[in-house]
Amino acid sequence: MAADGGSSSLGLPCVFSPKSRQYLALCAQDGRLRIWNTDSKTLHQEYVPSAHLSATCTCIAWGPCRTVKEGPQRKKRKSEAGQPEERADLLAMGTAAGSVLIYSTAKGALHCTLDGGHSGGVNSVQWHPEDSLLYSGSADTHIIEWDLQTGKTRCKWKADRAAVTSLCVSPDGKLLLSAGHIIKMWDLETKEIYRKFTGHSTAVRTLRFATTRPPDSNGLYFLSGAEHDRLLSVWQVREDGNDKNSVVSFTLTDEPQHIDLSTSTSKEEAVRLAVVCKDGQLHLFEHFLNGPCKKPLSPSCSVQMAGTQDSPVPVPLLAAALGTDTGTVLLAYGNHLQPVMERVEINTAERHICLTRDVQTTLSLSMETAVSKVKTPIVNAKSRVLVPGLPGHQAPIKGTSQGSEKRKKGTDTKEMSIEERLGEIDLSTVSSVKGAPKGTPSLQTDNFAVLLVQGLESSDAGILNKVFQTRKDAVIKKTVSRLPLPAVLPLVEEITKRLQGHPFTAVLMVRWLKAVLMHHTSYLSSLPDLVTQLGVLYHMIESRVRMFHKLTKLHGKLYLLMTQVATSDSSNTVTDVDHTAKLVYEEESSDEDEASGDEGLPDDNSDNWEEEEVMEETMEQDMEGQADEEEEDQDSRTESKANGEEDMEHENESEEE
Amino acid sequence: MASFKPTKIQVYPKLGEKVTQDTLYWKNYKAPVQIKEFGAVTNIDFSPVAPHNYAVTAFTRIHIYGPFSQEPVKSFTRFKDTAYCGRFRSDGQLLVAGCEDSVVRLFDVSGKVALRMFKGHTKAVRVTDFTSDRYHILTGSDDYTCRLWDIPNSTELTSYQEHTDYIRCGITSKLNRDLFITGSYDHTLKLFDARVNKSVMTMDHGQPVESLLLYPSEGLLVSAGGRYVKVWDLLKGGQPLVSLKNHHKTVTCLCLSSNGQRLLSASLDRHVKVYNTTNYKVVHNFDYAASILSLGLAPDDESIVVGMTNGILSIKHRKSSEETKEISGQQKRRPAYRVFVKGKNYVPKQDDYLVSKPVKQHLAKYDKQLKRFNVSKALDTALETWTRFRKPEITVAVIKELDRRGTLKNALAGRDERGLSQLLNFLVGNLVDPRFAPVLVPATEMILDIYQSVIGQSPVVDVQLQRLQDLLEREIGYQQDLLEVLGMLDTMFTSSLPRKEVPCSETFYRRF
Repeated sequence: MAADGGSSSLGLPCVFSPKSRQYLALCAQDGRLRIWNTDSKTLHQEYVPSAHLSATCTCIAWGPCRTVKEGPQRKKRKSEAGQPEERADLLAMGTAAGSVLIYSTAKGALHCTLDGGHSGGVNSVQWHPEDSLLYSGSADTHIIEWDLQTGKTRCKWKADRAAVTSLCVSPDGKLLLSAGHIIKMWDLETKEIYRKFTGHSTAVRTLRFATTRPPDSNGLYFLSGAEHDRLLSVWQVREDGNDKNSVVSFTLTDEPQHIDLSTSTSKEEAVRLAVVCKDGQLHLFEHFLNGPCKKPLSPSCSVQMAGTQDSPVPVPLLAAALGTDTGTVLLAYGNHLQPVMERVEINTAERHICLTRDVQTTLSLSMETAVSKVKTPIVNAKSRVLVPGLPGHQAPIKGTSQGSEKRKKGTDTKEMSIEERLGEIDLSTVSSVKGAPKGTPSLQTDNFAVLLVQGLESSDAGILNKVFQTRKDAVIKKTVSRLPLPAVLPLVEEITKRLQGHPFTAVLMVRWLKAVLMHHTSYLSSLPDLVTQLGVLYHMIESRVRMFHKLTKLHGKLYLLMTQVATSDSSNTVTDVDHTAKLVYEEESSDEDEASGDEGLPDDNSDNWEEEEVMEETMEQDMEGQADEEEEDQDSRTESKANGEEDMEHENESEEE
Repeated sequence: MASFKPTKIQVYPKLGEKVTQDTLYWKNYKAPVQIKEFGAVTNIDFSPVAPHNYAVTAFTRIHIYGPFSQEPVKSFTRFKDTAYCGRFRSDGQLLVAGCEDSVVRLFDVSGKVALRMFKGHTKAVRVTDFTSDRYHILTGSDDYTCRLWDIPNSTELTSYQEHTDYIRCGITSKLNRDLFITGSYDHTLKLFDARVNKSVMTMDHGQPVESLLLYPSEGLLVSAGGRYVKVWDLLKGGQPLVSLKNHHKTVTCLCLSSNGQRLLSASLDRHVKVYNTTNYKVVHNFDYAASILSLGLAPDDESIVVGMTNGILSIKHRKSSEETKEISGQQKRRPAYRVFVKGKNYVPKQDDYLVSKPVKQHLAKYDKQLKRFNVSKALDTALETWTRFRKPEITVAVIKELDRRGTLKNALAGRDERGLSQLLNFLVGNLVDPRFAPVLVPATEMILDIYQSVIGQSPVVDVQLQRLQDLLEREIGYQQDLLEVLGMLDTMFTSSLPRKEVPCSETFYRRF
């Protein structure tokens, strides 16, 4: 099984270690490299490149597995300190700045940096399967062959007119595939072009050899996937050189993000392929590569992942690795910062599989176990540390660093789950909002003063309406006090215009006017032509208040009438109570005149009441019909005028009840 | 016999905005047609020849639209980068455009491929124009230079490196082939003469200059930059005449209405303002949805085209005379004027026998009722829905007339629930109007006197009365506030006046 870790520069680089698939190397959004143990499902190592924010990691590749010992990683872990260096499991990282970092998982530290080769960002790094050579392709259109013994470039050549976006070394180590838009096959001995394959219209992001046969046997196949392309093409390297078009293509639901395949060594062995697409779906293919096939092949099985919430949310798959036996697949899914790894048995008889997992609980469970070793580099004086500006970006980093410190101490305190963290973030924002009110009004008035000046300058009705609709006195005062002097007179004019309206809106304007007069008294009184400037306003107000006396009187009159009506209504409803009260009083008093006088009133009242009730009873059926009619046509009312008043009474009472 | 005197309707001055000739003219446009372009619309240029197509420069394309088409009749897409400033030649056959990639391209309006490419600038070319002799091209660029090019052999004639910042606007004289003016972000306007190879006049605008405009007489130059629009007198050696500040954001575009009577300015604050060019007062204002980058006015103001930052091109066409007629046709057709004057201007000869025919007096409905002393009905007609809402002054005048006759009480009395609520509704609407209050307040009092016995019997009337009470409460509160303001103003006036009373009061005191 070929195990050269593939990486895609779109999305985030994410690679399983070769052969045993024991580790998953993942470079997350925060620029840190994390290595997860897929067996224990815990964080194995964490490494922060000193320039992780300015030169982010664009691609990762695991070094070839030394065949000296079986399962070298496990050995290493048992005796970490005394292990010699050459056994190190190496990891090559290409950065956006053009350098290549070699990280040693054995040391848990940076092994060396390959610098000064590329002038553009590194798009792809590939290890030579046998020799200690490393190939890197860059946006500066060149490919470099690095000698890892010396750490220097052995060879550098221009590969394409456009950026080199992908590389792949053949399993026998004799050929190299490189691609921008055109895929080129190089002979590594002579560094000459062996073949060219054209067909992709966008940058090729993925290249992978599918078979391990020699190129002149008509049996060498390779795969390519390009940006924004939902097809994975298979190319045959033919003996006669007649290989203009791709022979097979696999259909996907989105651009491929992570590919794993089991190469076939003979014609009888099928190629198994696991492709994780950008939309988070996994597609499994199985195909015998033996010549062209016209129709695009659809996946033998598609896997999706969903959360367990009430409304299931799709959980994106990050990477997938095929297991040694046909049924199992190792999946990594969830967040890049804390991926969840799981070995899944897949029933390939079904075409679509949807797995439901509770990501949050698995996350918190996986974090409970203590983690072996996490190292953060010492930041030296030369390296620049860029502080991320987004607060949301800072929060998770903080959380993890706290967690790592705890882990170092060996305490098994539980790390906060994502939910808790989100809760904390929410709380902090809420508290900041609560703390804000002192600041906000000044901010608002600031804006308001500016808005008001702008509105006055361009007489923009929209802006002015918005400003004048405020009801807060504090805001009005501050806005007016911040108003520049040249804007005062236009404001007064505008207010004068608006004062003439309905009292409901004009009341607001008086507040503004008062505020202006209070805050700008000295300025206004220093105006030489004050009388002419404010004359219009003065006369307008005078004419308006001329009727003040009469209106107040009228209001008094109306008020009296309305209150009378209200009291009579309320006395109507509580007639019975009044009645008894009066009766009691009468019995106690000895004065006959008063008693008779008092007696008269409630009696009258009750008489009226009874009369009305009688009337109502007789009319009731008619009226119910009428009530509906009234709403429908008002004109018919005049005809039934005779019943009108009683009708009204009835309605009145029903309301009170 | 004394004839009936119709009720005099008092004419009150109208409140609110005055309707001027200008507002009528500029409001006489149809609803805008909106076209979505690929990017911000940076320039609009009308062809000087009929049918007056216009070139719209947006993003990497120049579209040419016909006067009434909503689809481009032609488009030039051969730009490597953002195109700028597509302008027609005076014969309407050639189009020149700058580009972000510093190459100036010359197109035949009927062709597709660039006829000439003028290479030489080192940065984006934002300004292009033809000289009046039609054989040269003026360009201005972000590399601080402006250059003159020869069209036939596509060579550079002269280059002027006098500006110290980006050149973002420029215009050539239509009368003299050697004169042109450029405006730059270094706040200056420079008038160049191709015959002397250097600028002959420099004016300081004070802000980065965004747009330039020459009056047809070419005696006056208008420049826009920052929030200011400034007018310069070129014949007096670049003397500033007027500085206008009517926008609250940068003014991006200037335009002259076709007869030169009105100046239009468009700004990032989403307004287009129309100025009178005799007194430079704003006479009209258009509002748009987004910040405006470009503005074009068709000859005879047939259409206003505005390009905005969100890539929307808005086109307003003038309503044709037929359509305006249609609207007037909807109204009632009245007899022509000559029907009324028929025979009126006949001068009788000496021996004619005059038979005088009594002239029939035309009376309004309410006047007819008043004439018959149907006071209640007269008030009813005056309270009809249309009059009540549209012409409250008529209703008020009738009430006043009734009051004068002393029959208002009769007219108001004896109303059923519906009539009363109608009346109260009218009062709620107009009672606090200072124009009507002197008449309506006594009338309201009268109503309350008449109907106080039945208050509380009808919920409808009660609701109206409640509303009336609320209104009065508000109005009284408002007037109290106003009285306070009045007090403040009084204080202010007295403090601002020179104190003449002081000697007076002294003499006053001395007397005692």
